[in-house]
Amino acid sequence: MNLQFVLTKLFRGAMTLLLAVTFVFIVLRASGDPAQMMLSDEASPEALAAFRARWGLDGSYLEQYFTYLSAIVQGDFGDSFRDGRPALQVVMERVPVTLQLGITALLITLLLGIPAGILAALNRGKFVDHAAMSFTIFGQSVPNFFLGIILILVFSMTLRWLPSSGTGSFWHLVMPAATLATATTATVARFTRSSMLDVLHQPFMRTAKAKGIPQERRVLRHALPNAAIPVVTVVGMRIGGLIGGAVTIETVFAWPGVGMLLVNSVNQRDLAVVQAVVLLIALTMVVVNLVVDLTYGWLDPRIDLHSKKATA
Amino acid sequence: MSAADLSPALPALRRQSWLTRIWKARPPLVIGLCIAWLVVVILAALFAEYLAPFGFAEQSLLKRLKPPGALGGPAENLFGTDDLGRDVFSRVIYAMRTSILIAIMATMIGATVGTALGIVAAHFRGWVDDVIMMLVDFQASVPFLIVALAVLAFFGNNFVLLIILIGLFGWDGYARIARSLVLSTNGQGYAFAIRTLGVHPAKVYVHHVMPNMLGVIMVQITLNFPEIILLETSLSFLGLGVQPPGTSLGLLLGEGRNYLTTAWWMGIPAGMVIFLTTLAISLLGDWLRDMLDPSLGAKSE
Repeated sequence: MNLQFVLTKLFRGAMTLLLAVTFVFIVLRASGDPAQMMLSDEASPEALAAFRARWGLDGSYLEQYFTYLSAIVQGDFGDSFRDGRPALQVVMERVPVTLQLGITALLITLLLGIPAGILAALNRGKFVDHAAMSFTIFGQSVPNFFLGIILILVFSMTLRWLPSSGTGSFWHLVMPAATLATATTATVARFTRSSMLDVLHQPFMRTAKAKGIPQERRVLRHALPNAAIPVVTVVGMRIGGLIGGAVTIETVFAWPGVGMLLVNSVNQRDLAVVQAVVLLIALTMVVVNLVVDLTYGWLDPRIDLHSKKATA
Repeated sequence: MSAADLSPALPALRRQSWLTRIWKARPPLVIGLCIAWLVVVILAALFAEYLAPFGFAEQSLLKRLKPPGALGGPAENLFGTDDLGRDVFSRVIYAMRTSILIAIMATMIGATVGTALGIVAAHFRGWVDDVIMMLVDFQASVPFLIVALAVLAFFGNNFVLLIILIGLFGWDGYARIARSLVLSTNGQGYAFAIRTLGVHPAKVYVHHVMPNMLGVIMVQITLNFPEIILLETSLSFLGLGVQPPGTSLGLLLGEGRNYLTTAWWMGIPAGMVIFLTTLAISLLGDWLRDMLDPSLGAKSE
């Protein structure tokens, strides 16, 4: 991994972030008077004037843009009009709750999805394979909010085993995390399977077999590292899916995280909080993509660090 | 090739499980069922007013929250009634119309915009290409549900904005595919030959390049369409998509969520319809992809 590779990736991440901020800026300006939109309807003329001065709304669009940029860079997303606290603070105090859910779901995804994909590939065409692939089709098609409701209906209302909403104990975490993890586990299992199948057909695997290396070692030390790159990509991509999924799932299970905050803020048009959530999620995604890219370099030293476009 | 099968040697007579048999019968049986279900959905969407026994807003306060006909409710209410005494079956049929309509329009928007931008990127290369591909990366990197929620928060909700917004979901996929296909076609002899004859580039794309893209774009649509249905139903489920008195499958499920203990039939049928529809399209798409992918040995033709 060389410095140029890291710098290129950092630059692309920064560009994505800049694009996200610009996007929010354009939407904010295009949708009406930001002073009136960001403050509540009952805001006093003084409050409106103060807001205009703070965000430089009297200047040209270009000046406004740079004022906005510098405020965002300093972590100033405006104040939530519900309680007047800084939007960033309102969002940050929900982050741990969402992380608890998201990380649990990610662990389920990795611990179930990857082994399931490997087993399916090793037992291609047999029962395990068909069972795993049937699950992936189910998991990728079922809407997460519907799955959540069915789980509540079965495990909370009929069997009365698990709490249907809220947070506090391990048992509260089970259904939301399982629901959130279903789609990602399915995708990861599917990718792991096809990636493993590709590798298992490589000549070096036959060589390894001919050398008499035991199967576990062949699979874990020879095949898996080579199959890992597409899997890392898809895991990175699915983290966006986890974040999006958290929005609906937190609402279904009344899980008081960032997703539920976002939905409530959209409903009440608490725009400072909405923009803070959107930009923080963009930041998260940029960091995730960066980590994924750097993981490639570490996993596969052959990756051409100078290739400009991998998308062609 | 099964030469590289690493599993330990198996007995020659391997008994096939029921699952294996279903799996092997997939193209004729399961795909047939998928197509049948999609036909039902399309018919319901087209002829909702003839198929639904009641109007979608027709209230009957005397029979509120009645269970489905088969479970002891009124015989004329196949799926029971909701909190305002409206017939759930009729509402599901009308909701299918809304959800399918939105999904079809949104898919057309996404496919058109995406394909056009992909062609533009590949034709002009240079900075145009860079800008479009940067937008593609951006679109792919931020969860679209979040973006949609933000735009709806800022602009407020209206039906046209909702359709356009949902339509912009997934354009990046089409753009990527169109771009790479045009790049590879431009490298082939026939496009170069036509161009040398002095045919206008636009004509080359419409008459010669686009027809070659259709198959791949169709496959992309089967991937994109379920996601679009899920996006619309998610937004409506959260109360931020289609607004009452309109109906959408997501909205029905969202309304039914508050009555899970007393009247589960309010939301579950709508949820089942969403699930079966996305499932049918995904299976159909998988099958189509296998048929179209020459590297897997297409059996067609």
